Amino acid sequence: MVPFTYLEPASLDEALALLAEHGEDAKLIAGGTGLVNLMKQRLVRPDFVIGLRAIRALAGISEKDGLRIGALATIQSLEVSELVRRHAPLLAEACGHVATVRVRSMATLGGAMAHGDPNLDTPPALIAMDGQIVARTRRGERTIPVDRFFTGYFGTVLERDEIVTELLIPKQPAGSGTAFLKFLPATQDDYATVSVATRIALGADGTIREARVALGAAAMVPVRARMVEAALSGKASDEKTLGDAAPLVVDAIDPIADFRGSAEYKREMAVVHVRRALVEAAAKAKEAR
Amino acid sequence: MVKAPDTLERADNSQGVRCRMVAASLSGKAVGQPVMRVDGIAKVTGRALYAGDVDLPDLLSGRCLRSPHPSARIVSINVGKAKALPGVRSVLTGADVPDTCYGRMCKDIPVLAKGVVRFVGEKVAAVAADTVEIAEAALELIDVEYAELPAVFSAEEAMRPTAPIIHPEAVEFVPGAAASIHGELSMYPPIPNVISRLRVRHGDAASALASAHKIFEHSFAVPSVHQGYIEPHTCLVAIGRDGLVDVWVANKGPHIARTHMAAAIGVQENRIRFNPVAIGGDFGGKGSLMDTLVCYYLARAAGRPVRMVMNSFEELTAGNPRHSASITLRTAVDPDARLLAIDARVIFNAGAYGGFVPVPTLHGGYGELAGAYRVPNCAIEVLRVYTNTVPCGHMRAPGAPQVTFAVESHIDMIAHALGLDPVEMRRRNAIAEGDLTPLGEKRRHLRCRETIDAGARAFGWDKPKSPGIGRGMSTYEHPPGNFGLSTVALTIGIDGRITLTLGSPDTGTGFHTIAAQLVAEHFAVSVDEVEIAQGDTLSSGFEAGASGQRLTTTIGQAIAAAADRMKQDLAALAAERLNCAPSDIGIGADGSFSAPGAMIDRRTLMGWAAERGKAPLTCQGENTPGRHSDRTSFVAHFAEVAVDRETGQVRLRRIVTAHDVGTVVNPITHQGQIEGGLIQAVGQAMSEQIVLKDGAVITAHLGDYKLPTAMDIAELETILLPGGGGTAPFSTTAIGEMSNVALPAAITNAVFDAVGVRLVELPISAEKVLEGLRAQASAA
Repeated sequence: MVPFTYLEPASLDEALALLAEHGEDAKLIAGGTGLVNLMKQRLVRPDFVIGLRAIRALAGISEKDGLRIGALATIQSLEVSELVRRHAPLLAEACGHVATVRVRSMATLGGAMAHGDPNLDTPPALIAMDGQIVARTRRGERTIPVDRFFTGYFGTVLERDEIVTELLIPKQPAGSGTAFLKFLPATQDDYATVSVATRIALGADGTIREARVALGAAAMVPVRARMVEAALSGKASDEKTLGDAAPLVVDAIDPIADFRGSAEYKREMAVVHVRRALVEAAAKAKEAR
Repeated sequence: MVKAPDTLERADNSQGVRCRMVAASLSGKAVGQPVMRVDGIAKVTGRALYAGDVDLPDLLSGRCLRSPHPSARIVSINVGKAKALPGVRSVLTGADVPDTCYGRMCKDIPVLAKGVVRFVGEKVAAVAADTVEIAEAALELIDVEYAELPAVFSAEEAMRPTAPIIHPEAVEFVPGAAASIHGELSMYPPIPNVISRLRVRHGDAASALASAHKIFEHSFAVPSVHQGYIEPHTCLVAIGRDGLVDVWVANKGPHIARTHMAAAIGVQENRIRFNPVAIGGDFGGKGSLMDTLVCYYLARAAGRPVRMVMNSFEELTAGNPRHSASITLRTAVDPDARLLAIDARVIFNAGAYGGFVPVPTLHGGYGELAGAYRVPNCAIEVLRVYTNTVPCGHMRAPGAPQVTFAVESHIDMIAHALGLDPVEMRRRNAIAEGDLTPLGEKRRHLRCRETIDAGARAFGWDKPKSPGIGRGMSTYEHPPGNFGLSTVALTIGIDGRITLTLGSPDTGTGFHTIAAQLVAEHFAVSVDEVEIAQGDTLSSGFEAGASGQRLTTTIGQAIAAAADRMKQDLAALAAERLNCAPSDIGIGADGSFSAPGAMIDRRTLMGWAAERGKAPLTCQGENTPGRHSDRTSFVAHFAEVAVDRETGQVRLRRIVTAHDVGTVVNPITHQGQIEGGLIQAVGQAMSEQIVLKDGAVITAHLGDYKLPTAMDIAELETILLPGGGGTAPFSTTAIGEMSNVALPAAITNAVFDAVGVRLVELPISAEKVLEGLRAQASAA
């Protein structure tokens, strides 16, 4: 690792000022589980590392028109939070699949977004729940849908002086069920070969009112499979219908070959796991009705 | 404990080790007891001293610049800017160090590359600086100009007549190590890039194959894997004003390492002192000097002590991982499925240097080939070949995991081809008392069939199973090591306490605890009365170090010899105190000495002796090394998997492991060796692989090099068949290299049983299984 200066602002305003001052020479650090690895490999060599841990305004989980989750909330705290389990069980489930308990207790949800790694588990879960990201600069605040947040491999829409402050999860539709599948064929502590988050809301007649399908580790960014969603809208929620829609996911993804599988294998696994996740979500939705 | 109806013992890993069996002849105080690690508290409280913990005044940090090319000529190196960086104390290149090459047998490893580089990761220059950060910054200031040369990465290609020759120079080697091998060995034969070719023959395999009822031929490939120890290679060298070279290094055999270092740097052995340190895992990977020589030259150039710690990137890309291997087996069987002959060709890819291992070729590459079976005719050819890849070393039963994967898959394939149950195939061919091993060696205590049967019974081999579930087994045979000199000293203090001084570190196996138990048993005292003192290489007697599951056997013998002498000396003292003849002295179960009408305890006796200048009392002991034990042990593994036909994913559901054991010195440590070895084998079956691209290791961090986690481990049941003791004191045998070798084949055999897909390469990948399922479907 290349030596750097560590700064630890006590407030968000102070952090925003430091970030504005040091710009591209600075990196923000929360849990550090992503950044430190990049620094150790010398892929990122910041002169200044700005620690966010002292900023209390970025912590906490509250219920207000859904959930508001402070950017510094750890993955572990979300996995076990009663509020999250009640209002956003898909997020709690996804968090339970993140790496190991040691990583989960350090890594933060805001960090997982800002990191921009398409292999992470939480972005697809947030996309499937219509999650939004609140980000601040000294000039003001904006809210960005998670499915429009990622721009490329480790790339996001964040400006260089912008800080993720909160994650918003709206109230989930009545009669909806969710599922999160992380396909880990080698070891249980790994990036997914492909991960799938789904949400299915059923109407009073039992047909699909609305579907959400999002994938991780399937392209340069976390992706939303809108074609699958559209194909299911208004349809019956039987296994055949769900299974017939699943192959449409291949147009939404563009996986890369790596140690976790060839691109072709990942495409096939995306189809299998989208189908399985849809079936599971539909079953849960039926239970919820 | 669940006691099976016969002599079996079960250790249920889910609820700790609940059983033990103590032979009537034991005291019940030491051997056989679940004694806590003697170094346990020091380790868990952080007080244990590892090489990286040693701190000295003026200590510098050393780092190395490594080659980005697999094969290149070094045109020029400019270190001017690096030397000028404040805080840099010495910068070395190949031009600054002697031409002497290092190696444990083949002397082919330069301290720093001289003129050429032979693999991606080879050390080209070294820097010692005030901090690691300054040293790393200095490395970036070194300019090296390379002219790339042709490179070769696979052993098969390296043997072709047109292949580039990786070591055109005549490589020196220690002839003694070559002489210890049986069979027809040629070092550096006239085949391009071959380090060694070994041919071992027993019987007449060619004739048996020519006239056989049926012949089966299969080929297998096993990748290189890393040993996976937690502590990276670490060393620290300090040169005293008097010229004494002090070394702290994570090395499993300090005395031998000292001898190699002396030869390499031209300093007498008694002017080098390897100091005792705790070792954070070895698994065979810490037998070499690794960075110690460059560390010495940096310390000499800087005039200050230097510490070097490899980071995990360096460990994975430039450590000394296990040799990858390709193996072809041809086997003849008779109409009753009895094995008549095996013809085996094993090719080990050694990487760019051969010197990380102390032998011409890997013993497991031939020594235990088909060792569990009766094969009257056997012909084995083993080649070890240079390539422009990371140099390979030893890892836990060197060569055996690769070859056993092949043999145990092959036997399974033959069984299926003959329509025979795989357990029955193995039972029918299991070596039994009176049989010679496939290499023609005579061994006693052959309980192969009993071990298989015990495991099969506990596993429920014959019970019905659901679709998608598969069951497989594998077996392996390996004797304890009885080679190499071990010397120890026992000292009994004026307070009656006993200290064992030995030259072997505890590499993490718990050996120091075992040694304390062995000592305590001889004197029928509890382990609390025994201290373990690991001496430095000047103060302790010669010790050949941890390897080939030898320590309990060889140090056990040395301890027994020292204890016998000490008992005689104590009896003489007691006789003097009690005014009788030494032959009248009896030793009680509590360790006290008695004569007719008189008695004295050890502590009182030693107090009395101290007043007369006769305490403390020290006795030396040494073993009588044989080349190998004539006793051996067997293991049988059973694995159950579930295969997802849609994804190819293999889930390991259950493992039963049956072990033919002697006296278990410490049931906790023993079970730890079994479970640790199995987990290591699960990694090698399911996920671990050093992947190369253009010769460079690209699984360069633990995010991509996948070790198994606790969540990947299946339900495990251990079956022990006691009573198989060896010739070592207290009828112990070995466990260290028994559990990690054969399991991968049991798992791939189970995959075949589940879905009919045969994997002939490790590790298993879901994608490969799915490809196999597709091929099946399209063939149907």
